[in-house]
Amino acid sequence: MNASTARRAASPPGGTAVPDTPLLRLRDVQKSFGNVRALVGASLDLHAGTIHALMGSNGAGKSTLLNVLAGLLEPDHGSVEIDGEAVTIGNPQRAQQLGLRTIHQELSTVPDLTVLDNLLVGREKESGAGRFGWLNRGRTARQLSDLAAEFGITRLDLATEMSRLGALKKRAVEIVKALASEPKILVLDEPTSGLEDHEKEALFDHMAQLRRRGVALIWVTHHLDEVFRLADVATVMRDGRSVATTAVAELTHASLSRQMFGESVELLADRPAARESGCSSSLREVPALRVHGLSRRGVFKDVSFEVRSGEVLGFAGLAGSGRTEVARVLMGLDRADRGVVEVNGRTVRYRSVRSAHRAGLAMVPEDRKQLGILGELTVAENISVSRLRAVSRAGLLDRRKENALAQSYVEDLRIKTPGVSAKVRNLSGGNQQKVVIGRCLNTEPTALIFDEPTQGIDIHAKAEVYRLVRSLAEQGAAVVLISSEISELLTLSDRVVVMSRGELVGEVGEVGRRASQDEQSVKDQIVALATRAA
Amino acid sequence: MLHRASGRAERLISDPLIGILGLVLAAAVVMAFVQPTFLSLSNLTNIGGAMLAIAFLSIAMTVVLIAGGLDLSVGAVMALSAGVAAAVINNGVPLAGAFVAALVVGTGVGAVNGFLVTRLEVPDFIATLAVGGITSGFLLYWTRGVPILGYMTPAYEYVGGLRRLIGPITVPMLVLIVLALVTATLLHRTTIGLRLYAVGSSAAAARSAGLPVNRLKVYAYMFSGFVAAVAGIYLAGRTTTVPPSMGTGYEISAIAAAVIGGASLLGGKGRVLGALVGALLLTLTRNIINLTGVESSWQTVLTGAVLIGALLANHSWGDLVSLLRRPLRTAAHTEAYPEPTTREG
Repeated sequence: MNASTARRAASPPGGTAVPDTPLLRLRDVQKSFGNVRALVGASLDLHAGTIHALMGSNGAGKSTLLNVLAGLLEPDHGSVEIDGEAVTIGNPQRAQQLGLRTIHQELSTVPDLTVLDNLLVGREKESGAGRFGWLNRGRTARQLSDLAAEFGITRLDLATEMSRLGALKKRAVEIVKALASEPKILVLDEPTSGLEDHEKEALFDHMAQLRRRGVALIWVTHHLDEVFRLADVATVMRDGRSVATTAVAELTHASLSRQMFGESVELLADRPAARESGCSSSLREVPALRVHGLSRRGVFKDVSFEVRSGEVLGFAGLAGSGRTEVARVLMGLDRADRGVVEVNGRTVRYRSVRSAHRAGLAMVPEDRKQLGILGELTVAENISVSRLRAVSRAGLLDRRKENALAQSYVEDLRIKTPGVSAKVRNLSGGNQQKVVIGRCLNTEPTALIFDEPTQGIDIHAKAEVYRLVRSLAEQGAAVVLISSEISELLTLSDRVVVMSRGELVGEVGEVGRRASQDEQSVKDQIVALATRAA
Repeated sequence: MLHRASGRAERLISDPLIGILGLVLAAAVVMAFVQPTFLSLSNLTNIGGAMLAIAFLSIAMTVVLIAGGLDLSVGAVMALSAGVAAAVINNGVPLAGAFVAALVVGTGVGAVNGFLVTRLEVPDFIATLAVGGITSGFLLYWTRGVPILGYMTPAYEYVGGLRRLIGPITVPMLVLIVLALVTATLLHRTTIGLRLYAVGSSAAAARSAGLPVNRLKVYAYMFSGFVAAVAGIYLAGRTTTVPPSMGTGYEISAIAAAVIGGASLLGGKGRVLGALVGALLLTLTRNIINLTGVESSWQTVLTGAVLIGALLANHSWGDLVSLLRRPLRTAAHTEAYPEPTTREG
């Protein structure tokens, strides 16, 4: 490790940087894992006071590059310069000393500590920790409560254990923690995933403000729209290489996606015209899924809705409004205190998740890593596990049958995997999600619940998930779609219901037709409903 | 066809068990030269006999570990079952009846473990530690500290492996082989086996996939208790007395053997063959220490060293070098951000 570079840690953020020398310069950085060349050659010039988007599909090498910058991986080859001086990052502490902070997509907070203690870890000095390691919690709270409040973390939250927060607030804590150390270079890996629209806005404001203060931001995102709104420069990675760096002003949607995927891809903008007629023609007497007066004390109350076969019902609402909780009750993961759930007119008697499966309900859960995939199991096992009857006789597994079944899903859902006997944890996020979808379809459901199905997956996989949701509905499934992305709801749903504080507060019908005429007014209507009571 | 065969060979070579088997073989070859009595029939059957109890328990432990649990009561359950078998025989009940009684008791204690862990949500470490303590305390109280004697019959000598069946083959060896085959089949060829792996891989995900997580865990603990009772029936026959202190420390050996064989304390992993190889390695180490007359104070040191060596043998040489060369302070982080394996481009 290069000891002479330690002095640089003290230099103030931004300000003094000469505009011509990049703050951070990467030259031909390479990294291999065994035979897999994750980084073939990445180069990047990052200037102070710019927002630099880093784009590329899953597996393009972004994560590896980020891990190099975070000090988690040492490159095999290539150079890293900060302010024109070669440095070795080596470990995360060193990265922080160099003024480099990374907000990883995977949360790095400690679940059993309070939010305040999580913020305190790593900044004991600034918080005035004494010589004997006494913590000064009060001071940290005073220093950070304003910043925290901007991200919706209240004083009450500060005293709450991380594990009791929702995904959204966890992300916010992560962001606050990174901002608190006033970094020179801030690396953000998909910072908006799981954030509500208004929280995204808050984050974007912060990013713009950091840029004004001379901080350099590296921003990994799959959302082209966001890039065009906020970023100054975009570097696109493909197959472990940085293939292009362009000023955003000179880019178009088409040219950027061409850089990312090598050819122009059909993006998500196409709203299907066919769907508008789809709903009315498939009206039937009995709804596929009917929920009446469903309540769970302290969580949600008196939720009633119907979904017909062939229909996609969107669930809008802020995080914590009770959408996921309703889905959990529908799937038998939690108990309702009151209310009735009917599938095809027959009341579901809940004893376990399996009763829900038997009744014809299936769910693609929100937290893929925690609730979705079974990482140690193979693709084939993950797909068959919810309905082993189909691949076994008298309890004996027929592996050949299991593999054949999985192979058909791998082809139908276009799951990219070395084979059906590959372990699921080795697949990329989008493909893991497809495996979970395959498992749900394998239960032959009447009604399917998707809870944030496109969180943390790349634009390609997202387009495929959209295609899947649509084709499932066309094949006659009743689909419930929970999403924090309003544009996703508008693209896929026939109707959108809005939840707020545990209650259904409104419904927006004929979404497809109305959104194609005036998207913004539909969005505004939904946002107004979702935030009215709050 | 050729491609498939080479794929198989490749998988065999990259199998982590190969390293441990190599260790076992190397030790055996060295011993054959250093101490010719090592290869004598009497010593080999001695190793076989000593290995059996640990082998049984390591199979039990592997199943529990796969389901994401831990069973620290196996040693005590083995001892209590041995005591029950012996005492029931002493009361004039035929052998078969005594064995059934022991198996019922063992399975019952396993069910209690399962109940505590799933229904009452007591952490598995504490629940099984406590049940183990209660179990061995009960045996001590019941026997008033006096070893149980006088239950041996010629038939039981077969069960204990004191009389051989054909050549060097004994009854408990056959039982072990059958049990290992049945368990391996159960784990890899049946729906319940797949579900156990699923539960251990992620209980939350398994629950949302519709698996009866709690019931499966109870099954795993009951299986563990049952197999521990099998081990107890065997050990009572081999030692011809049941001292109340029987089985002390066996649970740790069982965990060690299971983990050497590829099981993970985090669940979702493990295999029967691995557990057997692990049990063999542990027994062999002890035997070699005894044969070479290593001073007793060094015995535990050596055993510990072999344990660490065996776990490191799971890594390739290149892995080890990169582990050591990794900067110290990043070591803790690599688990949270695992290196990506092959992904699509």
